[in-house]
Amino acid sequence: MRQLSVISRRLAAASVGLALAAGAAACGPEGGDAEGGSSDGKPTRGGTLSVLNQQAQSDFDPARLYTSGGGNVPSLVFRTLTTRNRENGAAGSKVVPDLATDLGTPGKNATVWTYHLKDGLKYEDGSPITSGDIKYGIERSFAAELSGGAPYLRDWLVGGARYRGPYKDKKGLDAIETPDEKTIVFHLNKPEGEFPYLATQTQFAPVPKAKDNGTKYEEHPISSGPYKVVKNEGDGEHLVLERNEHWSAATDDERKAYPDRIDVRSGLDAAVINQRLSTGSGKDAAAVTTDTNLGPAELAQVVGGDAQLKKRVGTGHFGYTDYIAFNPKVKPFDNPKVRQAIAYAVDRTTAVNAVGGSSLAEPATTYLPEQASFGHTPYDHFPAGRKGNAAKAGELLKEAGYKDGRLTVTLTHDTTKQDEQGPEVATAVQDALKRAGITVRLNGLEHNDFSDRIHSVGTEPGLFLTGWGADWPSGGPFLAPIFDGRQIVEDGYNFNSGLLNDPAVNKEIDEINKLTDLKAAAKRWGALDKRIGERALTVPLFHPVYKRLVGKDIKNVVISDWTGVLDVSQVAVR
Amino acid sequence: MSADTLVADEAGPAVAAAVPASGARHVWRRLRARRGTVAAAAVIALLTLTAWAAPALTALEGQDPDAYHDTLVDSAAGGVPKGSFGGVSTDHWLGVEPGTGRDLFARLITGARVSLSVAVGATLVQVLIGVAVGLLAGLGPRRVDSLLSRATDVMLALPHLVFAIALLAVVPSGFPRPVLLALVIALLGWAGTSKIVRAQTLTLKSLDHVAAARLGGSGPWRVARRELLPSLAAPVITYGAILLPTNIVVEAGLSFLGVGVKPPTPSWGQMLSTATMWFRADPMYVLLPAALLFVTVLAFTVLGDGVRTALDPRAASRLGVGTSKGAGR
Repeated sequence: MRQLSVISRRLAAASVGLALAAGAAACGPEGGDAEGGSSDGKPTRGGTLSVLNQQAQSDFDPARLYTSGGGNVPSLVFRTLTTRNRENGAAGSKVVPDLATDLGTPGKNATVWTYHLKDGLKYEDGSPITSGDIKYGIERSFAAELSGGAPYLRDWLVGGARYRGPYKDKKGLDAIETPDEKTIVFHLNKPEGEFPYLATQTQFAPVPKAKDNGTKYEEHPISSGPYKVVKNEGDGEHLVLERNEHWSAATDDERKAYPDRIDVRSGLDAAVINQRLSTGSGKDAAAVTTDTNLGPAELAQVVGGDAQLKKRVGTGHFGYTDYIAFNPKVKPFDNPKVRQAIAYAVDRTTAVNAVGGSSLAEPATTYLPEQASFGHTPYDHFPAGRKGNAAKAGELLKEAGYKDGRLTVTLTHDTTKQDEQGPEVATAVQDALKRAGITVRLNGLEHNDFSDRIHSVGTEPGLFLTGWGADWPSGGPFLAPIFDGRQIVEDGYNFNSGLLNDPAVNKEIDEINKLTDLKAAAKRWGALDKRIGERALTVPLFHPVYKRLVGKDIKNVVISDWTGVLDVSQVAVR
Repeated sequence: MSADTLVADEAGPAVAAAVPASGARHVWRRLRARRGTVAAAAVIALLTLTAWAAPALTALEGQDPDAYHDTLVDSAAGGVPKGSFGGVSTDHWLGVEPGTGRDLFARLITGARVSLSVAVGATLVQVLIGVAVGLLAGLGPRRVDSLLSRATDVMLALPHLVFAIALLAVVPSGFPRPVLLALVIALLGWAGTSKIVRAQTLTLKSLDHVAAARLGGSGPWRVARRELLPSLAAPVITYGAILLPTNIVVEAGLSFLGVGVKPPTPSWGQMLSTATMWFRADPMYVLLPAALLFVTVLAFTVLGDGVRTALDPRAASRLGVGTSKGAGR
């Protein structure tokens, strides 16, 4: 169970890294006002929005969508108990109520969460949405044939680990109670102050039991949001959404739903998408992408040339960190001095350039992304400066017993080109370490092989490139999977690459999870990150930045720090 | 009609190509007589010299092919080289690579070493295997012949690119990459040579001098060495000369697909693969490796063609039977 869920988590994180939703703030960098960028005037209703994507919107079933992808096109069709605040920048990383009246009432030390539904909530057929439908939607996600979601519900709900979904266990999941049609109560097996964040994922969307047809449900899921599915061809290859007349804007503070129709086409090449968006002829003028970044060479043209085009590029920050990971069970990385020497030697300037330069990545010295919601606390325990501190690294190597300050190590990386773990970053690291007297041999592995090896305790290399993205903008899903000793998976997909099992760290993670004050929790996540950073189990390299182009007719571009990409529910085409 | 064709003619048109030592001088003359061939040879000599002297030349330029120069690229603009023509300067004669700022001249000529050595190595091994298999098939008993011929057909029918990618992917990364590349290309591409050698062996076998040697009690090994190999030299050299440029392209293709030499070792194919996305922002980065690859392959092809013509007995004959020379009159 765990293994499957975690693989999908990794896949989702990877797809976010490569692409995911699109952003394009017109008026400059993130955090700007929500006024659309490319033309004047207020956004108005009507028209057709085109979405041009690389990856198909496959498995369009609320049970099967992962947290990250579920926040884009799917959030037009599926409403959930809570949702992302649809605002630019940092304000966009807040969690806000959606179907529920508030963020939930915690009880019994944050192990019981109670929600009440708003009045007047309806499906696309006009029938009312009940709390029982939300319970049923969550239960469905436990069915083996509807896998794909994040593992949290299984880990957190009482009895979740044993439950097999409503098709096999007709009795239902006792951990979710629905005392009346408007109330839903969750019983957790441990304190989880971040439960409101979890309630944003599509598994919390209502599914009417009478309309559930199992794996076929994805062809026409019943909409609770502003749009309904009118066409779904080739497993999400071509998706057409039209206005859901039964959705009421009065019950939904978040979705603007300006266009009448949304046409999602996928299977396109990244270069083709960017070319079509920049040319903007015909329907492409009212187009966006939710999964394609501008590449370095395309950026060179935008930055160097067309001012009109430059206005149509939006910048977003998704919580993601790319880093060098050590396996301290492999020599010589068992020696903290060696790990520190490498931390001192890295050149973050060339590493950033390897993934497209300062517009597409920012140097990182902290493991947590540089956003307040994560509790980012600045630190630089092993200051490498702009170009790496070769002298200090050499000293440390001598202290570590390498008399002439020389050492040969092997760096394992993905052979996928233009990847954050690809050969470009690996050779940049190799060059930087060479300056400090460390010879790096490169061991490039094919993508799947690479992913399997670095996530298995038995085959984990001593030194490799990897990255981590957040399931929601908080320190919890960023630190716990990587540094919680109880999350070391001996016989499956393991993310605790440093194999850290420190009772003090584990205890602090448990303590923070009890907090329902998310601000207070963020502060402590930040402090914990700083403390773990001293161990040099990872060398943070950079945080990716998203640069997204939108069509020339697009208005009201909103990019939150939660997704880092253009919010498709806010866009207007006229 | 010059004197040399006349001399060659005296050796008998049917086995003109089989005139080894005494013919070499004339072949050389015929090669020299063609301006295209001479030019191609000059280009190849220059390339080989450059590749051989690459470390010295990069040192002369004062650069290292693997050293990064982050100050020479515009990081905010995706890493495009600063300055015109891809950052050409007195320090960097052909500019720098986008993103990394590595010196292009140093990488191009170091890449030439890889391209040329892999291609030459692969060709030699191909010819070696091809001649061995072809001779064995041509001289051996019928059963051996049919077995080897079927094996050769199978090799010809294999989808080479797919197999090359698969082979290159499974070998552990510790194995020296250029050697591996040469071996893989060679192992998949010897079949053509072997077919030609077998056919030629079968023809030669029935010739009087070979029959005489066999009747005289010479064993198969001695017959092969003394009577056949000298006569096989011409077709084999010709075929090898045609194989070489093909192998350069194959190596570049495999590197382009990401299964060639490992980074940071530069190779033309690898550079082209990265350059494809830069063709609008930094055209120099695409043009340089592309032009170099084009010139190299063209030069080797022209030279191969020249060698073929020079060794062609028909071209050497006075009548020029079967050549444009003959047909024209």
